[in-house]
Amino acid sequence: MEFLVWLESTPIANAIRTIPWLYPMFETGHYIGLSLLVGGIMLIDLRVLGFARGLPLKSMIGLLPFVWVGFVINVFTGSMLFIYGATNFGTNAAFMLKMGFMVVAGLNALAFDLSVRRSGGSWVAADRPPTLVKGFATLSLVFWICVVTTGRWMAYL
Amino acid sequence: MGFLEWLQGTWFGVLVAESLWGYPIFETIHTIGMAMMIGSLGLINLRVLGYKPELPLLDTRQLLPLAWIGFTLNAISGTALFTSDAVYFWGKYTFRIKMILIILGGINAALLGGRVFREAAAGAPASPPVLTGTKWIAFLSLVFWFGAVIAGRLIAYTP
Repeated sequence: MEFLVWLESTPIANAIRTIPWLYPMFETGHYIGLSLLVGGIMLIDLRVLGFARGLPLKSMIGLLPFVWVGFVINVFTGSMLFIYGATNFGTNAAFMLKMGFMVVAGLNALAFDLSVRRSGGSWVAADRPPTLVKGFATLSLVFWICVVTTGRWMAYL
Repeated sequence: MGFLEWLQGTWFGVLVAESLWGYPIFETIHTIGMAMMIGSLGLINLRVLGYKPELPLLDTRQLLPLAWIGFTLNAISGTALFTSDAVYFWGKYTFRIKMILIILGGINAALLGGRVFREAAAGAPASPPVLTGTKWIAFLSLVFWFGAVIAGRLIAYTP
């Protein structure tokens, strides 16, 4: 709690409190990052699950840089928003759940990445994702929807 | 009593505004629908602009169902959110800008679909050359949809 109080009194937090357009700007940035991150992940996961087969699987997995750009934007903007309201967000049950889902979604993405590397990309080229990988893709969709949902819910607790 | 007052006084408007779950549920659906639309339309427009040329241009229309699902989710959830506080939303200039951007985005998407998917449909190669005018439509489409996201987010902060 002391740490959260300290965070809220840092110059960054004060700047966000006093400059009126700063908070809306970070929040808007967070939504644009979300669109890139979740939009990109959805395209990859749905393609692995058989949606839009006319688009090569390899190219669609190649959308990952967009996902990373969205992730970096949201870690930055999310940190700014958190610093501003640290004592509120840091004790918010929806925020804790959101962080939990992000960790699980991250581990899931790591498992997906490892299965691409281990296979040497053979199923990617052949466009035949193993059942296990389809499982990772399904879980990924579920986890990221949970991240968005719990994030949205933070405002109501 | 005007239409907006009537709308927010309907049982549905009151339900969304006052129930514990109503507003957050529709807001969450609105956010997920947004990611679906921006993801699918964003990729189609970037492909038209020359990104990832190995994607067969005409096959990017297979992403359109995702865009339509996102649009439908957001039309429904957006209407529900609007109903909860119609007078408030209608009075916001950012709300009006957002609606104009969505209309422009829709006209743009129809133009792009006509140019890229329909004209090239009969016996065209998988990736027909893209005219400069078409690229402008794709670029404006990105501007309109990201603009709609920004305007929508700013509704809460503007008069």
